[in-house]
Amino acid sequence: MEFNSQHTRQARPAFVHVSPRLIIWIIVAIIVIVMVMGSFFVVDQTEKAVVTRFGKYNRTVGPGLQMKIPFGIEKNYNIATEVVNTMNFGYRSTAKNTPLLVSSSVPQESEMLTGDLNIINIEWIVQYKVEDPKAWLFNVQKGETTIRDISQSVMNQLVGDLPILSVMTSKRTEMEVEAQTRMQDLFDSYHLGVRVVTVKLQNIVPPVGDVQDAFEDVNKAVQDMNRYINQGKENYNKVIPSAQGEANQMIQQANGYAAERVNNAQGDVARFNSVREEYEKSKDITKTRLYIETMESVINPTDGGSVTLIDKSLANYLPVQMVGGSK
Amino acid sequence: MKQITMKKLVTTLVIILVILLVFLLLGPFYIVNEGEQAVVTRFGKIVDTQTTAGLKFKMPVVDNVVVYPKKILSWDGDAQRIPTKENQFIWVDTTARWKIVDPVKFYESVNTVDNGRSRLNDILDSSIRTIVSDNYLSEAVRNSNQINEIQVTEQVQNVENIEDAETLRSLTETNTKQETIKLGREALSQMMFTQASKFTDAYGIELIDIIIRQIRYSDDLTESVYQRMIKERNQIAEAYRSYGRGQLAQWQGKTENEQKTILSTAYAESERIKGVADAQAAKIYADAYQVDPDFFRLWRTLESYRKTIPSLNKVLSTDMEYFDVLYGDKEKK
Repeated sequence: MEFNSQHTRQARPAFVHVSPRLIIWIIVAIIVIVMVMGSFFVVDQTEKAVVTRFGKYNRTVGPGLQMKIPFGIEKNYNIATEVVNTMNFGYRSTAKNTPLLVSSSVPQESEMLTGDLNIINIEWIVQYKVEDPKAWLFNVQKGETTIRDISQSVMNQLVGDLPILSVMTSKRTEMEVEAQTRMQDLFDSYHLGVRVVTVKLQNIVPPVGDVQDAFEDVNKAVQDMNRYINQGKENYNKVIPSAQGEANQMIQQANGYAAERVNNAQGDVARFNSVREEYEKSKDITKTRLYIETMESVINPTDGGSVTLIDKSLANYLPVQMVGGSK
Repeated sequence: MKQITMKKLVTTLVIILVILLVFLLLGPFYIVNEGEQAVVTRFGKIVDTQTTAGLKFKMPVVDNVVVYPKKILSWDGDAQRIPTKENQFIWVDTTARWKIVDPVKFYESVNTVDNGRSRLNDILDSSIRTIVSDNYLSEAVRNSNQINEIQVTEQVQNVENIEDAETLRSLTETNTKQETIKLGREALSQMMFTQASKFTDAYGIELIDIIIRQIRYSDDLTESVYQRMIKERNQIAEAYRSYGRGQLAQWQGKTENEQKTILSTAYAESERIKGVADAQAAKIYADAYQVDPDFFRLWRTLESYRKTIPSLNKVLSTDMEYFDVLYGDKEKK
């Protein structure tokens, strides 16, 4: 004691104002400050906080300024319960906000066997929310790893039950829904405190390279097929309507011919009948007249050609014209 | 005097504080957090276990607290290359969930969580290997026979004709009929689980599940599967192309057929029309001419002369009646 007081006395010149009372006050002040500082914590609007007292779960509190017992007696764990987290499978986005633009594929994760024992690469995302912060904190050790494992396993199992073509086309939506339900069931069985918001399939492609080319080729083949069919139709359309027209032309022409033929006949006959009626009245006169008129127009050499008269017996030969110089 | 009492007070306070501090430092209290459990040993002997969270008391210095997680832990095995029953090598990647349910047993037999993991490695790897190699590949890949109920059809586009679409579908139909499985993936997982659980109890470990995370073909198998997939696609592509060519030929044939039919029908029709007209004309002529055949002969002959004679080079006999007058008819006779 003596030594102690002596010591204090010796130190006095250096620390003029320091008295034990002051020291106690300072200590008390520090304790109070620490107490006040450690008694409050902020919970963000997106969060909930789990408070433990001596490590034991005590309560869950909502957003705002919250109080707790300081000195580590009560601890708060803030968990973002309103935030939707996204997990990528089969690829990793290198930049955080552009998951689809800058990404590298992880084939060992996306490669799967389909039910018809083909290989397919599937990329998908899982979005989840922490629904029960207490369960999330205390029930499962590595929540995120568990989500990854289960998601992968569920997707593998789904794909393993379907033929490759269904996976690529018709069953997409069904798979998403089914994966979500199965994952949720498993998470619930672990009391993980997580709600799966959505499962979305992204890229579903056959293995890159020759296999993918072969799949592409089927699409090309469909194009080819349509091209051939159209080519056939085009030719058909080119030929048939014009043939139809041609056919109509032939029929029209025949009709024209028929009309002409009948009309001509009727005309001829009408003329014949008229003349005949006259002929009946005076047969000889008409006959002779007709004969002479015809001969007149027929023998007239102005129409071309020449006329030579020959008397068979040469009895009354009258050279109307010399038969020819040479003759 | 007052100062001395003050000093004494401070000194006592300090002493009490120091003792308290030392006592606390020795650690009579310990905290078991939520999700943890603890085993308390005294000189290596287990004296207490705590499975609930909270502030706990122990004997300072002599008692030792070992904390284990009470949470569900994951076990992540390496992918194993395992031959299936038909001797195809596949990579099987499994994961399991487990927890420490009996900390005393766990402390005695395994001691640390890491040790626990390596025990699990041994147990799980071997049970996975046993089950997978005891079963056919499809049992591990598939979970049900659902695939045999699924009708897979190619997307047949732009085919107007229903029959054609049907033909195409049957041409491009891929055989989805697979051998029926008896167990399926979940049952295999269950079998692994049952087999492994027998051993884990002894370590105070409860296995919650074993799940096949991924199955892949081994590399050499992958290549041949690729080839099969390519061939399968090629065959379908060819079906489309060939069908297209067939359709083209069919259209060409149809075109030719219709063209010829149309034109020949028209020809037949036009000839018929002409024939009818000819017949009609003949009848008209005949009806008229029949009245007086003699006059008809005269008339028609003269008409004909008008057409034919003018262009001829004419050498006429004077015998002609026409010239009778010219040369004296009576004389001639």
